[in-house]
Amino acid sequence: MSSRTLWRSLHLASRRRVALTETSYRCFSCSRQSLADPKSDHERMTHFGFSNVPESKKESMVGHVFSSVASSYDTMNDLMSLGIHRLWKDHFVRSLDPGSALPSRDGDNAGKGWNILDIAGGTGDIAFRMLDHATNINHDHNTRVTIADINAEMLAEGKKRSIETPYYNTDRLSFMQGNAEHMPSIPDNSVDLYTVVFGIRNFTDKQAALVEAHRVLKPGGVFACMEFSKVDNALFNAVYKNWSFSAIPLIGQLVAGDRESYQYLVESIEKFPSQEEFRGMIQKAGFMIPGRGFENLTGGIAAIHKGIKPLTKA
Amino acid sequence: MARPLLRPLRSCRNPLVYPLFCAPRISLIPATSAIPNQHNQLRRLSRDLPSHHRRLYHSQHHPDPPPHEYTNSQTTILTAALKHVPTHGFTRAALTLGARDTGFLDVSIQLLPRGEFDLILFWLASRRGLLRAAVEQNGLLKSPDSNLVSVEEKTIKLIMERLRMNTEINHQWQDALALMSLPSHIPLSLSELHALSSDILHLAGDASVDASWYTKRLSVSAIYASAEVVMTRDSSPDLAATEAFVTRRIEDSKAIGDKLTGVKQCLGFMGSTAVGLGRSWGLKI
Repeated sequence: MSSRTLWRSLHLASRRRVALTETSYRCFSCSRQSLADPKSDHERMTHFGFSNVPESKKESMVGHVFSSVASSYDTMNDLMSLGIHRLWKDHFVRSLDPGSALPSRDGDNAGKGWNILDIAGGTGDIAFRMLDHATNINHDHNTRVTIADINAEMLAEGKKRSIETPYYNTDRLSFMQGNAEHMPSIPDNSVDLYTVVFGIRNFTDKQAALVEAHRVLKPGGVFACMEFSKVDNALFNAVYKNWSFSAIPLIGQLVAGDRESYQYLVESIEKFPSQEEFRGMIQKAGFMIPGRGFENLTGGIAAIHKGIKPLTKA
Repeated sequence: MARPLLRPLRSCRNPLVYPLFCAPRISLIPATSAIPNQHNQLRRLSRDLPSHHRRLYHSQHHPDPPPHEYTNSQTTILTAALKHVPTHGFTRAALTLGARDTGFLDVSIQLLPRGEFDLILFWLASRRGLLRAAVEQNGLLKSPDSNLVSVEEKTIKLIMERLRMNTEINHQWQDALALMSLPSHIPLSLSELHALSSDILHLAGDASVDASWYTKRLSVSAIYASAEVVMTRDSSPDLAATEAFVTRRIEDSKAIGDKLTGVKQCLGFMGSTAVGLGRSWGLKI
Protein backbone atom coordinates (compact mmCIF):
# COMPACT_ATOMS: atom_id res chain seq x y z
CA MET A 1 0.00 0.00 0.00
CA SER A 2 2.66 2.44 1.07
CA SER A 3 4.80 1.49 -1.90
CA ARG A 4 1.91 2.31 -4.21
CA THR A 5 1.53 5.85 -2.81
CA LEU A 6 5.24 6.33 -3.13
CA TRP A 7 5.14 5.23 -6.76
CA ARG A 8 2.19 7.51 -7.42
CA SER A 9 3.91 10.57 -5.94
CA LEU A 10 7.04 9.86 -7.96
CA HIS A 11 4.97 9.41 -11.06
CA LEU A 12 3.21 12.72 -10.45
CA ALA A 13 6.49 14.45 -9.78
CA SER A 14 7.91 13.31 -13.07
CA ARG A 15 4.78 14.39 -14.85
CA ARG A 16 5.05 17.82 -13.27
CA ARG A 17 8.60 18.18 -14.51
CA VAL A 18 7.55 17.36 -18.03
CA ALA A 19 4.86 20.00 -17.85
CA LEU A 20 7.47 22.58 -16.78
CA THR A 21 9.75 22.07 -19.73
CA GLU A 22 6.92 22.42 -22.19
CA THR A 23 6.37 26.10 -21.44
CA SER A 24 10.15 26.79 -21.60
CA TYR A 25 10.09 29.30 -18.81
CA ARG A 26 12.83 31.91 -19.03
CA CYS A 27 13.14 34.05 -16.00
CA PHE A 28 14.47 37.29 -17.46
CA SER A 29 13.05 37.58 -20.90
CA CYS A 30 9.37 36.89 -20.90
CA SER A 31 8.91 40.15 -22.72
CA ARG A 32 10.91 38.92 -25.70
CA GLN A 33 8.77 35.90 -26.36
CA SER A 34 6.18 37.77 -28.33
CA LEU A 35 8.84 39.15 -30.64
CA ALA A 36 10.28 35.79 -31.56
CA ASP A 37 8.55 34.51 -34.66
CA PRO A 38 7.69 30.86 -35.05
CA LYS A 39 10.85 29.33 -36.43
CA SER A 40 11.14 28.23 -39.99
CA ASP A 41 13.37 25.20 -40.14
CA HIS A 42 15.16 25.88 -43.39
CA GLU A 43 16.54 29.30 -42.34
CA ARG A 44 19.67 29.84 -40.28
CA MET A 45 18.98 31.16 -36.83
CA THR A 46 20.92 33.64 -34.75
CA HIS A 47 20.34 34.96 -31.28
CA PHE A 48 18.61 38.18 -30.43
CA GLY A 49 19.12 38.58 -26.75
CA PHE A 50 18.06 35.25 -25.28
CA SER A 51 15.68 34.36 -28.07
CA ASN A 52 16.53 32.85 -31.43
CA VAL A 53 15.48 34.67 -34.56
CA PRO A 54 16.10 34.08 -38.26
CA GLU A 55 19.29 35.76 -39.42
CA SER A 56 17.43 37.88 -41.93
CA LYS A 57 15.30 39.33 -39.16
CA LYS A 58 17.98 40.27 -36.64
CA GLU A 59 19.15 43.28 -38.58
CA SER A 60 15.76 44.96 -38.58
CA MET A 61 15.12 44.03 -34.96
CA VAL A 62 18.40 45.58 -33.86
CA GLY A 63 17.54 48.53 -36.06
CA HIS A 64 14.27 48.93 -34.22
CA VAL A 65 16.03 48.82 -30.85
CA PHE A 66 18.50 51.55 -31.72
CA SER A 67 15.96 53.73 -33.48
CA SER A 68 14.00 53.84 -30.29
CA VAL A 69 16.97 54.64 -28.04
CA ALA A 70 18.83 57.10 -30.30
CA SER A 71 17.55 60.27 -28.68
CA SER A 72 18.11 59.27 -25.07
CA TYR A 73 21.32 57.34 -25.82
CA ASP A 74 23.76 59.40 -23.75
CA THR A 75 21.54 59.95 -20.72
CA MET A 76 20.85 56.24 -20.62
CA ASN A 77 24.52 55.29 -20.94
CA ASP A 78 25.36 57.60 -18.06
CA LEU A 79 22.66 56.15 -15.85
CA MET A 80 23.34 52.53 -16.68
CA SER A 81 27.10 52.63 -16.28
CA LEU A 82 27.09 55.30 -13.56
CA GLY A 83 29.16 57.49 -15.85
CA ILE A 84 31.95 54.96 -16.20
CA HIS A 85 31.41 54.55 -19.96
CA ARG A 86 33.00 57.97 -20.47
CA LEU A 87 36.15 56.84 -18.67
CA TRP A 88 36.26 53.68 -20.77
CA LYS A 89 35.88 55.61 -23.99
CA ASP A 90 38.54 58.13 -22.98
CA HIS A 91 40.90 55.30 -22.07
CA PHE A 92 40.18 53.52 -25.33
CA VAL A 93 41.02 56.59 -27.42
CA ARG A 94 44.09 57.45 -25.33
CA SER A 95 45.50 53.95 -25.65
CA LEU A 96 45.09 54.13 -29.44
CA ASP A 97 46.74 57.54 -29.53
CA PRO A 98 45.30 58.52 -32.93
CA GLY A 99 47.10 61.07 -35.08
CA SER A 100 50.72 61.30 -36.14
CA ALA A 101 52.80 63.44 -33.82
CA LEU A 102 55.83 63.13 -36.11
CA PRO A 103 55.95 64.78 -39.51
CA SER A 104 55.90 62.21 -42.25
CA ARG A 105 59.19 61.63 -44.04
CA ASP A 106 59.95 60.79 -47.62
CA GLY A 107 59.47 57.17 -48.49
CA ASP A 108 57.15 56.43 -45.58
CA ASN A 109 54.31 54.05 -46.23
CA ALA A 110 52.09 56.08 -43.97
CA GLY A 111 50.32 58.95 -45.66
CA LYS A 112 49.48 62.22 -44.01
CA GLY A 113 47.28 61.66 -41.00
CA TRP A 114 45.34 58.53 -40.24
CA ASN A 115 42.32 57.27 -42.07
CA ILE A 116 40.01 56.04 -39.33
CA LEU A 117 36.82 54.08 -39.81
CA ASP A 118 34.49 54.13 -36.83
CA ILE A 119 31.95 51.36 -37.22
CA ALA A 120 28.66 51.47 -35.34
CA GLY A 121 29.69 54.90 -34.11
CA GLY A 122 26.41 56.58 -35.01
CA THR A 123 26.30 59.18 -32.28
CA GLY A 124 29.95 60.01 -32.87
CA ASP A 125 31.19 59.99 -29.30
CA ILE A 126 34.26 57.91 -30.21
CA ALA A 127 34.86 59.74 -33.48
CA PHE A 128 34.85 63.19 -31.86
CA ARG A 129 37.13 61.96 -29.10
CA MET A 130 39.63 60.60 -31.63
CA LEU A 131 39.59 63.81 -33.67
CA ASP A 132 40.06 65.85 -30.50
CA HIS A 133 42.97 63.67 -29.45
CA ALA A 134 44.64 63.88 -32.86
CA THR A 135 44.21 67.66 -33.02
CA ASN A 136 44.98 68.70 -29.46
CA ILE A 137 47.48 66.09 -28.30
CA ASN A 138 49.31 65.16 -31.50
CA HIS A 139 48.72 68.42 -33.43
CA ASP A 140 47.70 66.42 -36.42
CA HIS A 141 45.15 68.27 -38.55
CA ASN A 142 44.98 65.66 -41.28
CA THR A 143 43.56 62.64 -39.48
CA ARG A 144 40.04 61.97 -40.65
CA VAL A 145 37.22 59.76 -39.41
CA THR A 146 34.43 58.09 -41.30
CA ILE A 147 31.50 57.23 -39.09
CA ALA A 148 29.59 54.23 -40.37
CA ASP A 149 26.38 52.97 -38.87
CA ILE A 150 23.64 50.72 -40.11
CA ASN A 151 21.02 52.83 -38.42
CA ALA A 152 19.96 56.11 -40.04
CA GLU A 153 18.52 57.50 -36.85
CA MET A 154 21.72 57.02 -34.90
CA LEU A 155 23.64 58.66 -37.76
CA ALA A 156 21.21 61.59 -37.72
CA GLU A 157 21.88 61.97 -34.01
CA GLY A 158 25.63 62.01 -34.72
CA LYS A 159 25.23 64.59 -37.50
CA LYS A 160 23.22 66.78 -35.19
CA ARG A 161 25.95 66.60 -32.58
CA SER A 162 28.75 67.22 -35.05
CA ILE A 163 27.38 70.73 -35.67
CA GLU A 164 28.77 71.72 -32.30
CA THR A 165 32.25 70.35 -33.03
CA PRO A 166 34.93 72.15 -35.06
CA TYR A 167 34.89 69.24 -37.53
CA TYR A 168 31.41 69.98 -38.85
CA ASN A 169 31.38 70.30 -42.62
CA THR A 170 35.11 69.65 -43.01
CA ASP A 171 36.73 66.79 -44.89
CA ARG A 172 37.91 65.35 -41.57
CA LEU A 173 34.53 63.95 -40.68
CA SER A 174 32.17 62.02 -42.91
CA PHE A 175 29.14 59.83 -42.38
CA MET A 176 28.21 56.64 -44.13
CA GLN A 177 25.29 54.32 -43.75
CA GLY A 178 26.21 50.71 -44.24
CA ASN A 179 26.38 47.18 -42.95
CA ALA A 180 29.73 46.31 -41.39
CA GLU A 181 29.60 42.80 -42.82
CA HIS A 182 29.68 44.11 -46.37
CA MET A 183 31.02 47.56 -47.23
CA PRO A 184 31.67 47.66 -50.97
CA SER A 185 32.10 51.46 -50.95
CA ILE A 186 35.34 51.16 -48.96
CA PRO A 187 38.30 49.94 -51.04
CA ASP A 188 40.75 47.24 -49.91
CA ASN A 189 43.79 48.28 -47.85
CA SER A 190 42.61 51.82 -47.27
CA VAL A 191 42.05 52.20 -43.55
CA ASP A 192 44.67 52.80 -40.81
CA LEU A 193 42.46 52.22 -37.81
CA TYR A 194 39.15 50.40 -37.60
CA THR A 195 37.22 50.91 -34.37
CA VAL A 196 33.98 49.41 -33.21
CA VAL A 197 32.83 50.39 -29.75
CA PHE A 198 29.88 48.64 -28.13
CA GLY A 199 28.60 47.64 -31.54
CA ILE A 200 29.93 44.28 -32.65
CA ARG A 201 27.65 42.58 -30.15
CA ASN A 202 24.68 43.49 -32.33
CA PHE A 203 26.10 42.19 -35.61
CA THR A 204 24.34 39.26 -37.16
CA ASP A 205 27.55 37.61 -38.37
CA LYS A 206 30.50 38.77 -36.28
CA GLN A 207 33.06 36.67 -38.13
CA ALA A 208 32.01 38.16 -41.48
CA ALA A 209 32.43 41.65 -40.02
CA LEU A 210 35.93 40.75 -38.80
CA VAL A 211 36.87 39.44 -42.24
CA GLU A 212 35.54 42.62 -43.82
CA ALA A 213 37.60 44.66 -41.34
CA HIS A 214 40.66 42.69 -42.38
CA ARG A 215 39.92 43.49 -46.01
CA VAL A 216 39.58 47.25 -45.65
CA LEU A 217 42.56 47.71 -43.33
CA LYS A 218 46.00 48.57 -44.73
CA PRO A 219 48.74 46.06 -43.90
CA GLY A 220 49.89 47.10 -40.44
CA GLY A 221 46.49 48.63 -39.74
CA VAL A 222 44.79 48.07 -36.43
CA PHE A 223 41.41 46.62 -35.55
CA ALA A 224 40.33 47.90 -32.14
CA CYS A 225 37.11 46.94 -30.46
CA MET A 226 35.60 47.75 -27.09
CA GLU A 227 32.73 45.55 -26.03
CA PHE A 228 30.97 44.30 -22.94
CA SER A 229 32.56 41.11 -21.81
CA LYS A 230 32.74 38.56 -19.01
CA VAL A 231 33.50 39.53 -15.43
CA ASP A 232 36.22 37.30 -13.96
CA ASN A 233 35.45 37.72 -10.24
CA ALA A 234 32.51 35.55 -9.12
CA LEU A 235 31.39 37.90 -6.34
CA PHE A 236 31.58 41.00 -8.51
CA ASN A 237 29.86 39.09 -11.28
CA ALA A 238 26.87 38.38 -9.02
CA VAL A 239 26.54 42.06 -8.15
CA TYR A 240 26.95 43.07 -11.79
CA LYS A 241 24.41 40.56 -13.08
CA ASN A 242 21.90 41.71 -10.50
CA TRP A 243 22.40 45.29 -11.56
CA SER A 244 22.20 44.62 -15.27
CA PHE A 245 19.17 42.34 -15.20
CA SER A 246 17.11 44.22 -12.62
CA ALA A 247 18.15 47.83 -12.74
CA ILE A 248 18.93 48.49 -16.40
CA PRO A 249 15.55 47.47 -17.87
CA LEU A 250 13.89 49.46 -15.10
CA ILE A 251 15.95 52.57 -15.83
CA GLY A 252 15.13 52.07 -19.50
CA GLN A 253 11.45 51.98 -18.71
CA LEU A 254 11.54 55.05 -16.49
CA VAL A 255 13.87 57.29 -18.51
CA ALA A 256 13.54 56.20 -22.11
CA GLY A 257 10.08 54.67 -21.78
CA ASP A 258 11.34 51.54 -23.47
CA ARG A 259 11.88 48.43 -21.42
CA GLU A 260 12.14 46.05 -24.33
CA SER A 261 15.20 47.64 -25.90
CA TYR A 262 17.16 47.63 -22.68
CA GLN A 263 16.09 44.11 -21.93
CA TYR A 264 17.60 43.24 -25.30
CA LEU A 265 20.75 45.18 -24.37
CA VAL A 266 21.48 43.16 -21.24
CA GLU A 267 20.62 39.87 -22.93
CA SER A 268 22.89 40.60 -25.87
CA ILE A 269 25.72 41.36 -23.42
CA GLU A 270 25.13 37.98 -21.81
CA LYS A 271 25.25 36.26 -25.20
CA PHE A 272 28.49 37.87 -26.37
CA PRO A 273 31.48 35.49 -26.40
CA SER A 274 34.08 35.63 -23.64
CA GLN A 275 37.36 37.49 -24.02
CA GLU A 276 39.25 34.35 -25.04
CA GLU A 277 36.65 33.20 -27.55
CA PHE A 278 36.46 36.60 -29.18
CA ARG A 279 40.24 36.80 -29.35
CA GLY A 280 40.13 33.47 -31.19
CA MET A 281 37.66 34.95 -33.67
CA ILE A 282 39.94 37.93 -34.31
CA GLN A 283 42.87 35.59 -34.89
CA LYS A 284 40.76 33.47 -37.21
CA ALA A 285 40.08 36.53 -39.35
CA GLY A 286 43.85 36.80 -39.93
CA PHE A 287 44.94 39.39 -37.38
CA MET A 288 48.06 39.32 -35.23
CA ILE A 289 47.31 39.60 -31.54
CA PRO A 290 49.46 41.93 -29.44
CA GLY A 291 50.42 40.35 -26.11
CA ARG A 292 47.42 38.87 -24.36
CA GLY A 293 45.12 40.39 -26.96
CA PHE A 294 42.60 42.03 -24.68
CA GLU A 295 42.48 44.42 -21.79
CA ASN A 296 39.77 44.15 -19.16
CA LEU A 297 38.10 47.30 -17.91
CA THR A 298 36.35 47.50 -14.53
CA GLY A 299 36.93 43.83 -13.76
CA GLY A 300 35.91 42.62 -17.21
CA ILE A 301 32.55 44.38 -17.61
CA ALA A 302 34.05 45.74 -20.80
CA ALA A 303 37.15 44.64 -22.66
CA ILE A 304 39.31 46.21 -25.34
CA HIS A 305 40.39 43.82 -28.08
CA LYS A 306 43.04 44.63 -30.62
CA GLY A 307 44.33 42.95 -33.73
CA ILE A 308 46.94 44.03 -36.26
CA LYS A 309 46.81 43.13 -39.92
CA PRO A 310 50.16 41.56 -40.84
CA LEU A 311 52.34 42.97 -43.58
CA THR A 312 52.13 40.94 -46.74
CA LYS A 313 55.50 39.45 -47.56
CA ALA A 314 56.63 40.70 -50.93
CA MET B 1 70.87 -13.05 -22.78
CA ALA B 2 69.63 -10.13 -20.76
CA ARG B 3 67.19 -12.19 -18.72
CA PRO B 4 69.53 -14.26 -16.54
CA LEU B 5 71.69 -11.28 -15.97
CA LEU B 6 68.78 -9.18 -14.81
CA ARG B 7 67.63 -11.83 -12.38
CA PRO B 8 69.99 -10.90 -9.57
CA LEU B 9 68.52 -7.41 -9.66
CA ARG B 10 65.16 -8.78 -8.57
CA SER B 11 66.58 -10.06 -5.35
CA CYS B 12 67.77 -6.58 -4.60
CA ARG B 13 64.41 -4.89 -4.10
CA ASN B 14 65.34 -4.10 -0.54
CA PRO B 15 66.72 -0.60 -0.71
CA LEU B 16 69.07 -1.27 2.19
CA VAL B 17 70.68 -4.25 0.51
CA TYR B 18 70.68 -2.80 -2.99
CA PRO B 19 73.60 -0.39 -2.76
CA LEU B 20 75.74 -2.85 -0.82
CA PHE B 21 75.44 -5.92 -2.99
CA CYS B 22 73.93 -4.95 -6.26
CA ALA B 23 75.51 -1.66 -7.15
CA PRO B 24 78.85 -3.17 -8.24
CA ARG B 25 77.07 -5.67 -10.43
CA ILE B 26 75.49 -3.03 -12.58
CA SER B 27 78.79 -2.37 -14.23
CA LEU B 28 79.03 -6.06 -15.13
CA ILE B 29 75.75 -6.07 -17.05
CA PRO B 30 76.38 -5.48 -20.75
CA ALA B 31 75.09 -2.29 -22.33
CA THR B 32 72.25 -4.12 -24.13
CA SER B 33 69.92 -4.05 -21.13
CA ALA B 34 67.94 -0.94 -20.51
CA ILE B 35 68.85 0.25 -17.06
CA PRO B 36 72.62 0.39 -17.22
CA ASN B 37 72.34 1.84 -20.69
CA GLN B 38 70.75 4.93 -19.22
CA HIS B 39 73.40 5.10 -16.58
CA ASN B 40 76.12 4.96 -19.14
CA GLN B 41 74.47 7.61 -21.26
CA LEU B 42 74.17 9.99 -18.40
CA ARG B 43 77.73 9.37 -17.37
CA ARG B 44 78.92 9.91 -20.91
CA LEU B 45 76.92 13.12 -21.20
CA SER B 46 78.39 14.60 -18.08
CA ARG B 47 81.87 13.53 -19.06
CA ASP B 48 81.75 14.76 -22.65
CA LEU B 49 80.46 18.22 -21.88
CA PRO B 50 83.29 20.70 -21.56
CA SER B 51 83.48 22.20 -18.13
CA HIS B 52 82.51 25.56 -19.59
CA HIS B 53 79.08 24.21 -20.55
CA ARG B 54 78.43 22.72 -17.16
CA ARG B 55 75.44 24.80 -16.15
CA LEU B 56 74.04 24.23 -12.73
CA TYR B 57 70.32 24.64 -12.45
CA HIS B 58 70.17 24.90 -16.23
CA SER B 59 68.84 21.86 -18.02
CA GLN B 60 71.37 20.25 -20.33
CA HIS B 61 68.67 18.67 -22.42
CA HIS B 62 66.81 21.84 -23.39
CA PRO B 63 68.04 24.67 -25.55
CA ASP B 64 68.49 28.04 -23.91
CA PRO B 65 65.25 29.98 -23.71
CA PRO B 66 65.31 33.02 -26.00
CA PRO B 67 66.18 36.19 -24.09
CA HIS B 68 62.75 37.69 -24.87
CA GLU B 69 59.29 36.56 -25.90
CA TYR B 70 58.43 38.98 -28.66
CA THR B 71 56.99 37.76 -31.95
CA ASN B 72 58.69 38.32 -35.29
CA SER B 73 56.78 41.45 -36.22
CA GLN B 74 57.29 42.91 -32.75
CA THR B 75 61.00 42.17 -32.93
CA THR B 76 61.22 43.81 -36.36
CA ILE B 77 59.65 47.04 -35.13
CA LEU B 78 61.63 47.05 -31.87
CA THR B 79 64.96 46.39 -33.55
CA ALA B 80 64.37 49.22 -35.99
CA ALA B 81 63.18 51.47 -33.17
CA LEU B 82 66.40 50.92 -31.21
CA LYS B 83 68.29 52.79 -33.95
CA HIS B 84 66.27 55.89 -33.12
CA VAL B 85 66.79 55.67 -29.38
CA PRO B 86 70.01 57.79 -29.27
CA THR B 87 68.15 60.73 -30.84
CA HIS B 88 64.59 60.24 -29.62
CA GLY B 89 65.09 58.34 -26.39
CA PHE B 90 62.89 55.47 -25.25
CA THR B 91 59.71 57.13 -26.51
CA ARG B 92 56.75 56.49 -28.73
CA ALA B 93 58.45 58.64 -31.34
CA ALA B 94 61.28 56.10 -31.61
CA LEU B 95 58.74 53.29 -31.87
CA THR B 96 56.78 55.13 -34.56
CA LEU B 97 59.93 55.77 -36.59
CA GLY B 98 60.93 52.13 -36.18
CA ALA B 99 57.51 51.04 -37.43
CA ARG B 100 57.77 53.39 -40.42
CA ASP B 101 61.27 52.14 -41.24
CA THR B 102 60.04 48.57 -41.48
CA GLY B 103 57.02 49.34 -43.64
CA PHE B 104 54.46 49.46 -40.86
CA LEU B 105 52.05 52.31 -40.18
CA ASP B 106 52.08 54.76 -37.29
CA VAL B 107 49.15 52.90 -35.78
CA SER B 108 51.03 49.58 -35.88
CA ILE B 109 52.83 50.32 -32.62
CA GLN B 110 49.61 49.03 -31.06
CA LEU B 111 51.37 45.71 -31.58
CA LEU B 112 53.34 46.57 -28.43
CA PRO B 113 50.80 46.81 -25.64
CA ARG B 114 53.24 48.36 -23.18
CA GLY B 115 54.45 51.04 -25.58
CA GLU B 116 57.81 52.59 -24.73
CA PHE B 117 58.29 50.24 -21.80
CA ASP B 118 58.37 47.39 -24.31
CA LEU B 119 61.22 49.20 -26.03
CA ILE B 120 63.16 49.34 -22.76
CA LEU B 121 62.45 45.69 -21.98
CA PHE B 122 63.55 44.72 -25.46
CA TRP B 123 66.74 46.71 -25.07
CA LEU B 124 67.51 44.99 -21.77
CA ALA B 125 66.67 41.51 -23.00
CA SER B 126 68.52 41.81 -26.29
CA ARG B 127 71.66 43.23 -24.63
CA ARG B 128 71.52 40.37 -22.16
CA GLY B 129 71.39 37.97 -25.10
CA LEU B 130 74.39 39.75 -26.66
CA LEU B 131 76.33 39.42 -23.42
CA ARG B 132 75.63 35.71 -23.33
CA ALA B 133 76.68 35.37 -26.96
CA ALA B 134 79.87 37.38 -26.32
CA VAL B 135 80.92 34.89 -23.67
CA GLU B 136 79.71 31.62 -25.18
CA GLN B 137 80.56 32.26 -28.81
CA ASN B 138 83.22 34.95 -28.87
CA GLY B 139 85.04 33.74 -25.77
CA LEU B 140 84.99 37.04 -23.94
CA LEU B 141 86.41 35.56 -20.75
CA LYS B 142 88.98 33.38 -22.53
CA SER B 143 91.14 36.01 -24.22
CA PRO B 144 94.83 35.16 -23.71
CA ASP B 145 95.91 38.55 -22.39
CA SER B 146 93.35 38.51 -19.60
CA ASN B 147 94.12 36.25 -16.69
CA LEU B 148 90.75 36.12 -15.05
CA VAL B 149 90.47 33.36 -12.54
CA SER B 150 88.15 34.10 -9.68
CA VAL B 151 84.40 34.47 -10.00
CA GLU B 152 84.66 38.03 -8.67
CA GLU B 153 87.03 39.14 -11.40
CA LYS B 154 84.88 37.58 -14.08
CA THR B 155 81.81 39.20 -12.57
CA ILE B 156 83.44 42.64 -12.71
CA LYS B 157 84.46 42.01 -16.30
CA LEU B 158 80.93 40.95 -17.26
CA ILE B 159 79.23 43.85 -15.45
CA MET B 160 81.54 46.31 -17.20
CA GLU B 161 80.96 44.63 -20.55
CA ARG B 162 77.22 44.95 -20.08
CA LEU B 163 77.52 48.58 -18.96
CA ARG B 164 79.63 49.44 -22.01
CA MET B 165 76.74 48.32 -24.19
CA ASN B 166 74.80 51.23 -22.70
CA THR B 167 77.37 53.81 -23.82
CA GLU B 168 75.58 54.94 -26.96
CA ILE B 169 72.30 55.51 -25.14
CA ASN B 170 73.83 56.71 -21.88
CA HIS B 171 72.27 60.19 -22.18
CA GLN B 172 68.79 58.64 -22.53
CA TRP B 173 69.18 56.07 -19.79
CA GLN B 174 68.04 58.25 -16.89
CA ASP B 175 64.66 58.64 -18.57
CA ALA B 176 64.48 54.90 -19.05
CA LEU B 177 65.35 54.27 -15.40
CA ALA B 178 62.59 56.69 -14.39
CA LEU B 179 60.11 54.83 -16.57
CA MET B 180 61.23 51.48 -15.20
CA SER B 181 60.66 52.65 -11.64
CA LEU B 182 56.98 53.43 -12.20
CA PRO B 183 54.97 51.21 -9.83
CA SER B 184 53.28 49.25 -12.61
CA HIS B 185 56.62 48.56 -14.30
CA ILE B 186 58.61 47.55 -11.22
CA PRO B 187 57.84 43.79 -11.26
CA LEU B 188 58.99 43.33 -14.85
CA SER B 189 62.03 45.56 -14.35
CA LEU B 190 63.08 43.55 -11.32
CA SER B 191 62.63 40.21 -13.02
CA GLU B 192 64.74 41.43 -15.93
CA LEU B 193 67.39 42.61 -13.45
CA HIS B 194 67.33 39.21 -11.79
CA ALA B 195 67.68 37.49 -15.15
CA LEU B 196 70.71 39.62 -15.92
CA SER B 197 72.43 39.05 -12.58
CA SER B 198 71.69 35.34 -12.82
CA ASP B 199 73.20 35.23 -16.31
CA ILE B 200 76.27 37.17 -15.18
CA LEU B 201 76.91 34.84 -12.26
CA HIS B 202 76.29 31.76 -14.33
CA LEU B 203 78.63 32.95 -17.07
CA ALA B 204 81.23 33.86 -14.46
CA GLY B 205 81.17 30.23 -13.38
CA ASP B 206 79.46 30.59 -10.04
CA ALA B 207 78.51 27.14 -8.78
CA SER B 208 76.87 27.84 -5.45
CA VAL B 209 73.95 25.63 -4.56
CA ASP B 210 73.04 26.89 -1.10
CA ALA B 211 71.46 30.07 0.22
CA SER B 212 74.32 32.06 -1.26
CA TRP B 213 72.75 31.41 -4.68
CA TYR B 214 70.17 33.99 -3.66
CA THR B 215 72.41 36.41 -1.82
CA LYS B 216 74.92 36.48 -4.66
CA ARG B 217 72.25 37.29 -7.20
CA LEU B 218 70.84 39.91 -4.88
CA SER B 219 74.18 41.60 -4.43
CA VAL B 220 75.09 41.49 -8.12
CA SER B 221 71.66 42.99 -8.90
CA ALA B 222 72.22 45.76 -6.39
CA ILE B 223 75.72 46.46 -7.68
CA TYR B 224 74.62 46.48 -11.31
CA ALA B 225 71.62 48.74 -10.67
CA SER B 226 73.65 51.26 -8.68
CA ALA B 227 76.46 51.15 -11.25
CA GLU B 228 73.93 52.04 -13.95
CA VAL B 229 72.93 55.12 -11.99
CA VAL B 230 76.59 56.04 -11.46
CA MET B 231 77.25 55.57 -15.15
CA THR B 232 74.59 58.08 -16.21
CA ARG B 233 76.69 60.75 -14.45
CA ASP B 234 80.06 59.38 -15.53
CA SER B 235 82.06 61.53 -17.95
CA SER B 236 85.47 59.93 -17.39
CA PRO B 237 87.20 58.32 -20.41
CA ASP B 238 86.22 54.70 -21.00
CA LEU B 239 83.99 54.68 -17.92
CA ALA B 240 86.97 54.56 -15.55
CA ALA B 241 84.93 56.01 -12.69
CA THR B 242 82.19 53.44 -13.14
CA GLU B 243 84.70 50.61 -13.29
CA ALA B 244 86.34 51.81 -10.07
CA PHE B 245 82.89 52.01 -8.49
CA VAL B 246 82.01 48.44 -9.52
CA THR B 247 85.35 47.09 -8.29
CA ARG B 248 84.88 48.78 -4.92
CA ARG B 249 81.35 47.45 -4.55
CA ILE B 250 82.39 43.90 -5.39
CA GLU B 251 85.19 44.14 -2.85
CA ASP B 252 82.76 45.51 -0.30
CA SER B 253 80.31 42.70 -0.85
CA LYS B 254 83.13 40.18 -0.59
CA ALA B 255 84.33 41.79 2.64
CA ILE B 256 80.82 41.78 4.06
CA GLY B 257 80.41 38.16 3.02
CA ASP B 258 83.69 37.22 4.69
CA LYS B 259 82.74 39.08 7.86
CA LEU B 260 79.36 37.36 7.95
CA THR B 261 80.97 33.94 7.50
CA GLY B 262 83.41 34.78 10.31
CA VAL B 263 80.61 35.87 12.63
CA LYS B 264 78.60 32.77 11.78
CA GLN B 265 81.58 30.51 12.43
CA CYS B 266 82.33 32.26 15.73
CA LEU B 267 78.71 31.95 16.87
CA GLY B 268 78.74 28.29 15.88
CA PHE B 269 81.86 27.59 17.93
CA MET B 270 80.50 29.44 20.91
CA GLY B 271 77.22 27.55 20.65
CA SER B 272 78.83 24.16 20.48
CA THR B 273 81.16 25.10 23.34
CA ALA B 274 78.16 26.12 25.44
CA VAL B 275 76.39 22.86 24.63
CA GLY B 276 79.52 20.86 25.48
CA LEU B 277 79.94 22.77 28.70
CA GLY B 278 76.33 22.16 29.67
CA ARG B 279 76.66 18.46 28.96
CA SER B 280 79.78 18.20 31.05
CA TRP B 281 77.75 19.69 33.90
CA GLY B 282 75.16 16.99 33.42
CA LEU B 283 72.49 18.98 31.58
CA LYS B 284 70.41 16.82 29.29
CA ILE B 285 70.94 18.69 26.00
